[in-house]
Amino acid sequence: MSVPLQNYLRTYRKRSGFTQTEVAFLLGSDDGMKVSRYERRVQRPTLETALAYEAIFRVPAKKLFAGLYHKVEKETMSRAQLLAQKLAPAKAVRVPSRKLAFLRAISSGQPASRAKRL
Amino acid sequence: MNLSPMETKRSLAIDPTSKGFGFAVLESPATLIDWGVRHASEDKNRRSLEKVSELIDRYQPDVLVVERTTAKGCRRRLRARQLIEDLPGLALEHGLRTKRVSRRRAQLCFSKTGSATKRQVAVALTERFPELEPHLPPMRKPWMSEDERMSIFDAVAFGYASYESWRRENRALFLLSLDPPSFHA
Repeated sequence: MSVPLQNYLRTYRKRSGFTQTEVAFLLGSDDGMKVSRYERRVQRPTLETALAYEAIFRVPAKKLFAGLYHKVEKETMSRAQLLAQKLAPAKAVRVPSRKLAFLRAISSGQPASRAKRL
Repeated sequence: MNLSPMETKRSLAIDPTSKGFGFAVLESPATLIDWGVRHASEDKNRRSLEKVSELIDRYQPDVLVVERTTAKGCRRRLRARQLIEDLPGLALEHGLRTKRVSRRRAQLCFSKTGSATKRQVAVALTERFPELEPHLPPMRKPWMSEDERMSIFDAVAFGYASYESWRRENRALFLLSLDPPSFHA
């Protein structure tokens, strides 16, 4: 499977039939230039803008910014693995097993709710 | 729908016109990512190649889909034919594979006899991809030249047909009990 694009803002905007100026208005911006920059991946939107996009297109930010999410998830998973390795020797010194289970769930990509049950 | 790994590859389909080219980006037979027309003036082929290169950089496709100009009944004029022949070289520079699809093969995806008109194919595509509906030009009269927006539908049809073609190749190889072809082979 292809690596997802950093964002699918242009796809969802075109599917909805909005122009860049209209989306800019919905985002509370003055003109469509910013929207164009987001779509061309020249500029990264702020968290407020990302959430506004989610509200406009009714699509989770995870899907709208699929590539970015994929990258952040991968990096977080490897950091969780590192933290689990760091904490493992200290397990005897009372590291809650729940915490380690949670970290293991993050690094394996399982949902956090599953970790609670572990 | 269960899709094979090849059917989830991103493809960029190009359809040259007299003013530039139409393009479509697909991520599967059911997922249209982007579409549109690009204009090129003066040295049309060189400008078109530059613009295709920009699209490749933006969408990072795995495969470039173009019309098979050697197919029987291809009526492309010399310049467009030259552009189509130059595109695989550009794809190679970017490390992409090129898939050539004949117009008849694309038509066969939308009609059992392969006798569908361009208009019929375009209407069938708007049913699959409703987002294309605003781009569907009005019915062409005999004295009218073709609307350039039809190149969007041609590009989508070629892109769509390329997935069908992979599916068919895989099915044939499966029946012959051979390994399916490696995508980057």
